[in-house]
Amino acid sequence: MSESNVSLKVEFSGGLELLFSNQRSHKVAVPGTVPTKYNDPSSPSKPADIAFLIHYLRDNLLKERVELFMENDTVRPGILVLVNDTDWELEGEGQYVLKEGDEIVFISTLHGG
Amino acid sequence: MAESCGNPSSEQDALMLRRSKFDKSNICIKCKVNPGNVVIRHAVIASAECFFPLVSSKFRRALVPAINPGPIPDTPRKKKGSLKAAGNLCIGFSGGLGSSVLLDLVTESYFPSENGNTKGGSDHPRHHEKVWDHGTVCYVEICSALPGTRDRTEEVRALVSEYRHFEFLPLRIEDAFDEAWWAKVGGRGLESNMTVDLADEDLILSQSTTSDNSVAALHSYISSLPTQTAVPSAIQTLIRLLLLHTARSTGSSHLLLGTSLTSLSVSLISSISQGGGFVVREEAQEEWQPTVESKRTVRVNRPLRDIGMKECAMWAWWKGVHIPGKENYLGGKQGIGALTKNFIVGLERDYPSTVSTIARTCGKLAPKDSSDSSCILCGRPAQPGKPDLASPPPHLQNMTPQIPPVAPASQSSLTPRLCYACHTTLTSRSSRGSTASGNHINSTPLPVWVVSELDGVGHRKMGEKEMKESISEYLLE
Repeated sequence: MSESNVSLKVEFSGGLELLFSNQRSHKVAVPGTVPTKYNDPSSPSKPADIAFLIHYLRDNLLKERVELFMENDTVRPGILVLVNDTDWELEGEGQYVLKEGDEIVFISTLHGG
Repeated sequence: MAESCGNPSSEQDALMLRRSKFDKSNICIKCKVNPGNVVIRHAVIASAECFFPLVSSKFRRALVPAINPGPIPDTPRKKKGSLKAAGNLCIGFSGGLGSSVLLDLVTESYFPSENGNTKGGSDHPRHHEKVWDHGTVCYVEICSALPGTRDRTEEVRALVSEYRHFEFLPLRIEDAFDEAWWAKVGGRGLESNMTVDLADEDLILSQSTTSDNSVAALHSYISSLPTQTAVPSAIQTLIRLLLLHTARSTGSSHLLLGTSLTSLSVSLISSISQGGGFVVREEAQEEWQPTVESKRTVRVNRPLRDIGMKECAMWAWWKGVHIPGKENYLGGKQGIGALTKNFIVGLERDYPSTVSTIARTCGKLAPKDSSDSSCILCGRPAQPGKPDLASPPPHLQNMTPQIPPVAPASQSSLTPRLCYACHTTLTSRSSRGSTASGNHINSTPLPVWVVSELDGVGHRKMGEKEMKESISEYLLE
C-alpha cells in the first residue's frame, strides 16, 4: 500500500452519528493506494475509493450495529452518500476515487415520516 | 453505454457493467445550465438552486387543492384566487424526517417571516391574506407504549420553538385511555368503563368495575394484542385519532402529516396486507367527520406524498433542518411493517420509479361499494355488509368441515362496529398462535373515543321514528 495518505472530512447525519461515537464530524486519513479486495492485501492495488472508505469506517470508527450502516459490501439501503455536496450517484458511487480534502457525508433517511 | 458482459466460463472477471441510474447528461434538467447535484428517480438531476423550487412546487401541488372548503378538485388549480382555509392548521409531528421537512416547508410557504424577505414573487402565497390564522404542532410521545425507548418531548419542543408561528401541543399516547384528556378536547363525559374480550373473535363487551390509570390501560391494550404486527398498527391508529381529536379541539380544518412518497408506499402495502384495502384512498388523504351530526370536518392531507425520502433528506441537509428522530418500531424484524419497509427502501435504491408507481396505482383504486358507516376504532369508512367474520370465506367453505353457523353478533359485541382492518388487528392470530401476554386479555380497556361512542349507543334517547322502526313487526296494521 502507498505510504501517502488522503485526508478526508467524513460527516454522519440522520441518526448515523449514534453509531460513530455520537460524533457527527470526523477527520480521517486513508491510504492513497489500497488492495482491490479489501481483505486480501495480495490483490492488485487501486487508488482508494469510497467503497474502500466504507469498509475502513466500519473497521475503524463504527462502534456498534454494523447492519445499520453496511449491507452486502456497500451502505445499507436508505443511506445517502454525498461527495463534496453532490449525490454519489453522479460521481460513480463506490468507484469514486478519493482526493485530498474531500468531504464525504453519510445521511440516514430511515427516520421515517 | 454499457458493454455486454463477457462469457463467465472463459473470462473470470466478466461482470455485467451496472447500468447508470440516469441516462442523460449530468446537467440539471430544470435550468439546463448548472451541473446537477442530486439524482431524483431516473432522469431528473437538479442543481442545488433548482432543487428547492422543485420540491416546494410538488408540496404546494399536493396541498393547495385541499385548502379551500368544498370538494377537492381532481385536477390542479389553474385559476388564481385567494386561498383561505375554513379553520386553523394542525401539523402532526412525529420527530421523523418527513414531519421535520413538512414543518419547514409549511413555514416557508404559508407563515412568512417578518424580515421583509420578498423571495417568491408577487404571486407567492405569503403575500396574500394568511391561509390559516393559527397553527399548532402536535406531537404524540409513544415511549409509554415501547418499553426501553426515551421521551423525546423536550427535544421536539426545542425544535418547534424555532418556528415561532406555531403553538406546540404535546400529547402522550396513553392519553387515548385518559378521561381527563378526552374532557379537555370536548369529549362527552364517560358514563361507564367498557372493556372488550380479545380472546373471543366476537369481541364481547362488558362493564368493568375497576379502572386502571391511563398508562396501565395502554399497557393492557398493547399486551393483549394477538400478534407483533398488530402492535405498530394499533399504535398508529391511536396516534391518528389523538391527532384528529386534537385538531378538532383546536378549531383546525386541516391536519397535515409528513408522510413522504416512500413512507406512503410502505403504509399502503402494509395496510392492504393487513386488511385495509377498503380505505386505500384514505391513506393519502381523507376527510374526517367527528360525529354524524357534526358539520365541521378535518381534512387530513399528506403534502409530501409526491416527494421521496431522498428528496426530503436533501432538503433537510441543505436547509440545515434539525431532525429529533423517532422510534421505528414496526413489529420486530419479521413484522409486516418491517418487512415492507425493507422491501420498499431497497426498491427505492435500485428501481426508484417503482415506489411512485405503487402510490400512483393505489391512488387510482376505489372500493366498489360506498360506505354506510365508520369504524368505531379508527374512524375510517367501514365496508358495508360485512360478512360473518367468524365463517370461512365462500371459496374455502367446500374445503372445510361444515361449521355450525355462528350466531349473529349481539349488541354487546364490538365486531359489528369495526372495519375489517381493525377487526383483523384485534383478532388475527399468527400460525404459531397468539403472542398476547397480558393478564387483561378478557377485559382489555378501550380507547376513550370508543367508550364514548358505545356509551352514546347504550344511553342515548331514541327518536320517535327509530322507536317505531324497532317495534314495527309487532304493530298491528
